[in-house]
Amino acid sequence: MTENNDLWESYDDDIVRKFIFACLLFGAIAFLAGLLAALQMAYWPFNSNLPWITFGRLRPLHTNAAIFAFAGNAIFAGIYHSTQRLLKTRMFSDVLSNIHFWGWQLIILSAAVTLPLGYSHGKEYAELEWPIDIAITVVWVVFAVNFFGTIAIRKQRHLYVALWFYIATIITVAVLHIFNSIELPVSFMKSYPVYAGIQDALVQWWYGHNAVAFFLTTPFLGLMYYYLPKAANRPIYSYRLSIVHFWALIFLYIWAGPHHLLYSSLPEWAQTLGMVFSVMLWAPSWGGMINGLLTLRGSWDLLRTDPIIKFLVAGITFYGMATFEGPLLSIKSVNALAHFTDWIIGHVHGGALGWNGLLTFAIIYYLVPKLWRTELYSKKLATTHFWFAIFGILIYYVSMTSAGITQGLMWRAVDQQGRLVYPDFVETVLRIVPLYWFRVLGGTLFIVGFAIMLYNLFMTLKRAPRPVPELIGDIPKSAELGTGHRKLEGLATVFSVLAFFAILVGSVIEILPTLNLDKYLNPTLTVKPYTPLELAGRDIYVREGCYYCHSQQIRPMVSEVLRYGPPSTVEESMYDHPFQWGSKRTGPDIARVGKKYPDLWHYRHMMDPRSVTPKSIMPNYPWLAEDNTDFLILRKKLSVMRVLGVPYSDEELANADILAEKQAQEIAQKLAADGAPGGLEKKEIVALISYLQALGQKGSPKNETLGSVPQL
Amino acid sequence: MGHDENDGIQELDNPLPGWWLVTFYGTIIFAFFYWIHYTFTNAPDLQGELKLAMDELERVRKNSGGDAGGGGSGGALPAESEEQLAALFAPGDRADQGKVVFAAKCASCHGPEGAGLVGPNLTDKFWIHGKGTRKDILAVISGGVKDKGMPAWSEMLSKEELYSSAAFVFSIKGKNLPGKPPEGNEVP
Ligand code: HEC
Ligand code: HEC
Repeated sequence: MTENNDLWESYDDDIVRKFIFACLLFGAIAFLAGLLAALQMAYWPFNSNLPWITFGRLRPLHTNAAIFAFAGNAIFAGIYHSTQRLLKTRMFSDVLSNIHFWGWQLIILSAAVTLPLGYSHGKEYAELEWPIDIAITVVWVVFAVNFFGTIAIRKQRHLYVALWFYIATIITVAVLHIFNSIELPVSFMKSYPVYAGIQDALVQWWYGHNAVAFFLTTPFLGLMYYYLPKAANRPIYSYRLSIVHFWALIFLYIWAGPHHLLYSSLPEWAQTLGMVFSVMLWAPSWGGMINGLLTLRGSWDLLRTDPIIKFLVAGITFYGMATFEGPLLSIKSVNALAHFTDWIIGHVHGGALGWNGLLTFAIIYYLVPKLWRTELYSKKLATTHFWFAIFGILIYYVSMTSAGITQGLMWRAVDQQGRLVYPDFVETVLRIVPLYWFRVLGGTLFIVGFAIMLYNLFMTLKRAPRPVPELIGDIPKSAELGTGHRKLEGLATVFSVLAFFAILVGSVIEILPTLNLDKYLNPTLTVKPYTPLELAGRDIYVREGCYYCHSQQIRPMVSEVLRYGPPSTVEESMYDHPFQWGSKRTGPDIARVGKKYPDLWHYRHMMDPRSVTPKSIMPNYPWLAEDNTDFLILRKKLSVMRVLGVPYSDEELANADILAEKQAQEIAQKLAADGAPGGLEKKEIVALISYLQALGQKGSPKNETLGSVPQL
Repeated sequence: MGHDENDGIQELDNPLPGWWLVTFYGTIIFAFFYWIHYTFTNAPDLQGELKLAMDELERVRKNSGGDAGGGGSGGALPAESEEQLAALFAPGDRADQGKVVFAAKCASCHGPEGAGLVGPNLTDKFWIHGKGTRKDILAVISGGVKDKGMPAWSEMLSKEELYSSAAFVFSIKGKNLPGKPPEGNEVP
């Protein structure tokens, strides 16, 4: 019994130390995966003809590792450390803390195995297949119980602003993850989302955008509110500002998702809402930046002497830059230029490396000496790390923004005769390849800085004594409950419920109307579902992550109509579970690539893109001509699709595999006759070709707006 | 002065900066009017804007006269007669210029020498479209064969490039390079 009492007199810092180690380990992996991906863009042979590290499979590994493993573990370390201190109690349950820790690391490991193997939903930042989705839900609930349990047993009546942000994070991430992951399993590691087309797009970007908001923004703002005043030993600038910007931020953020879908076939009212709410987010976001920077008023000298303050100030400044650029990029006319280009990649990394990265480094430099009761091995090395990181980020950002603007302008350039100036897509790619090399340089600098940090921490720990638990110490006597917002801070349950409602409003208003898809369909335009073979091909497309480089959504703009054909319609993706509109055009849009080229062209292109498009940077896919299509599972796939509302007939269902084999036979025979190797009928390449040839061919929309302009 | 019971962190209670408030209210007002404008008035929607832009493009194309490759002719036969084309193709460097275009745009499908790859052998005596006259060649290059994967080049090449590539194809006709087996009808 006495031992137990001892335990309750100290904070659990073991768990914080574990999360820090995990953050550093997975940070290294995330950064190296990013570097390899950057190299693949600059020089395609880095794809190495190996399925599991081709760009399409490496990119989700990189993003998941960066967001959920690196940033995730950093958040948990900071939350576990600061929450206990702000509430003057040990965590609710050490067991739950450990289940949370090990569960999360297992999820990361399973992601590290399954993503390279090609198991993927085909939805960005939500790629992990259904068993892992369930595990994420369980672990997140464990975290929530542990966190709210700690709030319940708190010794400190009022919740400090950092905790408000943690509460919003935990509630919202749960809602986002659960609703975006509703899917129907086909087999152990394959499922189809219940949403299709514009629905799926809307739900996905409601999730995707708010993963940025509630995984990479709100928790980090919470961390800033704790670690900045601690590290600088200064009072927070304005309590009032923290109230206003907190509630404005969480209420407004949830609406902004559709700014990822401007000019798409998503109904326009939703696009307009996405844009205007993004614009309104500017000031609330800057509220956080101001409160951070002005907290340092009067102690700017620390900026010269203390590397931790350097990291914090630079991190907060990058936050300000990214949250100014975000609303700017959401303005339709700016978006028209920037969307699908590397400008967006630059924007994201300004936020991820600048805000999340630098803030994480600051917190770790602050925490490690504290938790191990020692001094940092070298302040000078920390400052060196800082400069490597800053120059790395700046080079990255500048090169990608220029690449994006350059390519965006080339795509839209129309000459005086009304023709595209750069009709050859690959020409616009080759123009920016030098900038891809600059990105490699930027990323390398950032990683060198990180390596310096690892060395510095290693040396620090080598000299550190065995850590002893920190005692909780005196508990302040309970303050008056107070009135107004102050009172609310004392009522944790009411506070959490209000936060939940704040994020619910925008979600419901935007998503609910599109759940009834019929409203947006033109009944005179019918679209045929994919044949079984095409569906098999589509799953290969999803598995290989082609959508990280190719969009399938033609925007209603002159240059797009000239380059790709009539704008995409709602009907065309109505059976697409999941939608594959994509968010980046490293290669051209392929919404209407069907019948553009002969089958043999695709065969040669997939085996070696450079054999038909000299200098292309697309990877080779030789394994598609070696691996067999799984025909037998097609019946199951079609039946799941039918449950989801795709109108397959009984006959198609019963004969799915036979129909597919027949279609494959025809394609393979034609390929062989044209000079490709024989015997391809069972190979995946044939299924993929059938899918590519079906794109844009499933019911062509009549489109009067196009007048007599010929389509290519 | 705010509170200081949060693990020793103090909070001041400075007023909200004026410029910040102005920005916040400004964006809200902008958002409101923008939303009203695009949701409730008859401002053109995206399709409407596209239509206006396409009409403008149409006008530009008309005004720029025939200079735009096939610009909009969509594969109709060239206006010139076979004799006029013969004169146009005649200058010595025509076919040489065409060779450059061919290497860049056509070789990926027709092979570097035109002996066929994905697309047919252009050096044999067999023609799928027409009889291999200058007019026929120019027509198929401009208009393409959409369903068979031959792009319509009138949209992508200038008139100059279009004519020189046709001149080049005409110049290699009948060289009978070994390549893709014959397709189409034999033309003596
Ligand atoms: C690293 C980015 C990248 C990935 C991944 C990628 N592509 Fe590409 N793709 C390109 C680029 C760049 C081009 C343009 C140059 C060319 O024709 O190769 C292209 C062109 C194409 C084209 C020709 C489009 C046209 O209209 O000319 C098709 C079809 C295509 N890719 C299919 C795929 C498929 C299928 C996959 C997945 C198995 C895939 N791509 C993966 C970059 C990529
Ligand atoms: C994407 C592949 C592709 C490219 C690039 C391409 N072609 Fe073709 N071309 C074809 C195919 C396929 C056919 C056969 C069409 C058919 O079967 O009707 C063809 C047919 C032709 C024909 C008619 C041959 C006949 O027998 O009637 C000519 C002439 C021709 N191409 C010239 C060109 C020129 C000149 C270029 C470059 C400006 C070019 N092609 C680029 C695929 C291509």
